[in-house]
Amino acid sequence: MLAFIVDNIATIAVCLILTGIAGAIIARMVIDRKKGVSSCGCGCSSCPMSSACHQKK
Amino acid sequence: MGIRIALAGNPNSGKTTLFNVLTGSNQYVGNWPGVTVEKKEGTIKKYPDVTVIDLPGIYSLSPYTLEEVVSRDFLVGERPDVILNIVDGTNIERNLYLTTQLMELGIPVVVAVNMMDIVRKNGDEIKIDALSKSLGCRIVEISALRGTGINEAVDAAIDAATAGVKPTPAHTFSGVVEHALAHIEEAALHDMPSEQQRWYAIKLFERDKKVIEQLKLSDEVIAHIEEDIRAAETELDDDSESIITNERYIYISNILKNSYKKKNAGKLSTSEKIDRIVTNRFLALPIFALVMVAVYYIAVTSVGTIVTDFTNEVLFGKWIMPGVASLLKSAGAADWVISLVVDGIIGGISAPIGFAPQMAVLFFLLSFLEDCGYMARVAFIMDKLFRRFGLSGKSFIPLLVSSGCGVPGIMATRTIENEKDRRLTMITTTMIPCGAKLPVIALIAGAIMGGSWWMAPLMYFVGIAGVIVSCVILKKTKMFSGDPAPFIMELPQYHLPSIKNMLIHVWDRVWHFLKKAGTVLFLCCVVMWLLVTLGFEDGKFGIVAQENSIMSIIGGVISPIFIPLGFGFWQAVAASLSGFFAKEAVVSTIAIFVGLVDLGQEDPELWGAVMALFPSAVAAVSFLVFNLLNSPCIAAVTTLSREMNSRKWTVFALVYQNVFAYVVSLMIYQFGSIITGDVSFGIGTVGAIIVLSVMVYLIFRKAPIKRMSAKKSNPARAS
Repeated sequence: MLAFIVDNIATIAVCLILTGIAGAIIARMVIDRKKGVSSCGCGCSSCPMSSACHQKK
Repeated sequence: MGIRIALAGNPNSGKTTLFNVLTGSNQYVGNWPGVTVEKKEGTIKKYPDVTVIDLPGIYSLSPYTLEEVVSRDFLVGERPDVILNIVDGTNIERNLYLTTQLMELGIPVVVAVNMMDIVRKNGDEIKIDALSKSLGCRIVEISALRGTGINEAVDAAIDAATAGVKPTPAHTFSGVVEHALAHIEEAALHDMPSEQQRWYAIKLFERDKKVIEQLKLSDEVIAHIEEDIRAAETELDDDSESIITNERYIYISNILKNSYKKKNAGKLSTSEKIDRIVTNRFLALPIFALVMVAVYYIAVTSVGTIVTDFTNEVLFGKWIMPGVASLLKSAGAADWVISLVVDGIIGGISAPIGFAPQMAVLFFLLSFLEDCGYMARVAFIMDKLFRRFGLSGKSFIPLLVSSGCGVPGIMATRTIENEKDRRLTMITTTMIPCGAKLPVIALIAGAIMGGSWWMAPLMYFVGIAGVIVSCVILKKTKMFSGDPAPFIMELPQYHLPSIKNMLIHVWDRVWHFLKKAGTVLFLCCVVMWLLVTLGFEDGKFGIVAQENSIMSIIGGVISPIFIPLGFGFWQAVAASLSGFFAKEAVVSTIAIFVGLVDLGQEDPELWGAVMALFPSAVAAVSFLVFNLLNSPCIAAVTTLSREMNSRKWTVFALVYQNVFAYVVSLMIYQFGSIITGDVSFGIGTVGAIIVLSVMVYLIFRKAPIKRMSAKKSNPARAS
């Protein structure tokens, strides 16, 4: 087992990094969705409808 | 003490600027109950017990638009302590129309003439005392942007609220109208507080449906009032609403004679001189077409391409991808991991990122056109064209917004009062190529035409044509029939926009695009690589050739549907499906298929590799048009669902968009291939001819609903 890990350390490390990145992206998307942040990806300061998306309390 | 001040005024008169100055961060932003119109309320920094309510910008207190209904319901129903009416001093005649109506509500009014700095700069003169005497209310000069006169306006409003004086409007109508109003007050409003009777009397004279419903008058009273109204209409030879409107403007014109002096009266301003050409009835549309061609030419061909070449050929092609591959190999990573990272993720993301410079230039130019004031003219120009197809220029504004992104484009339909027109605009607005579709256009254009600059503007006009054809067809159905709404719009003065603000907006858009590439596209590329690389071969599951992959099985099930369109192969289906998550993913997916590791954008092998996916150039164009006209990305679909607020209409929209895209692509491929000789006459051609015939019939048939309406409204005449 240990030998397998040592032989494939680079592969395992890259896979862990990619999994971590994918997980972080998915978590951020879920959090944004719960907050009501639009997923349009267009940027808000230049959006003509930004006041309709964002409500200040 | 608890004073409530309502800020009322025309759109762009400076209400919100003043509101922000008065309240700072002490504000709440939400929606008026039951509608999507924004509600802003806050307390004044200096007076914590004074609440300011920023009403939506309105031109009048008529019951036609949501904003007007919300404003007048608040003013009439909740009766704030004072109305602070913000009047744009540079457009005083138009702004005073609302002022005359506000004066009739029986609520104290203070007029704040805004933009006085610009009025003085223009050399114009407003005699505040004379105007105040004529209107019958206190008037204060302010400049909300510069922060001058604000304290005086607030003090005047608080004084008016605490004085407890019931205002009497100085404006009176002609004798005939005043006579009718007196009769109406006596017949229907004698139980009401005296200061409120006048406004209700005028609304009843105008036959305002909402007021009639609200007062719950008996049929006898309504009939009695109707006699007085008809008598006035007969004597003045006009309808009651027009009588009131005309008399208001005559009154405003008279009071301004003595209190307002325009420096360049009768002369054309610079904006007006430009508009004589730009909005000329013959030149307007050709000028618009030329402008859009120039925009796309500059963005796609010149500046954008230079940076795009470097991004793909050098940055990704020579540095990043070979560098990462080499690094991973030397670290001992497995071949499949190297393929995932380099071919899948970097290769997939780099393709749309390579087009980011072109997108940036496009956004910059569109932002310039919008900020300088030209796009407002385009909406005005398009009103005449759209009216022929049953829509108004108000429906063109969301289309303009959609050229950046479909999500705000769909949301911008909120300004369309007519629900049928609003739905129709929402269904069609995403046919306009958004920023995310530009990489798709550029990729296919590069593959089949060697990067021809005219493909991008051509696709823009294909989008507009798609909107027009859809509107013509759907407007003749019962679901969408009806007359277009009147379109009134303020044309701002032309001005050079702030380059700094434009660059900030462009950077914001590009940054969010790069963020999207690093998040949504990252996930799409990983998933697509897995689906394209893994599959069953010789009974075993593992890394296989693309043709045996999971994606080829999924795509292979659906792809026969697209054979008549020229791209009936699984790779095209996979690319189109990935476009559902983000339109840029179409490019990423194709890049994964053709393996962009060693290829730069201008490398002829790349274009050859992309073209090798398609049987012909016409098939590639058909694929491009399908992906431009079909349903938009998931973010836009989610917004569409929310704005439609109806599952039935959302499903209808999605079905219509995809069916429309399908039939248009079918005709392009079948007729185009006959012309180029790529295919011979066959069953696909017959299908295309049938589809074309049906479409022509639907476009040119007489609207059956109009004939039904004629029978309904005048049965005696119809029979």
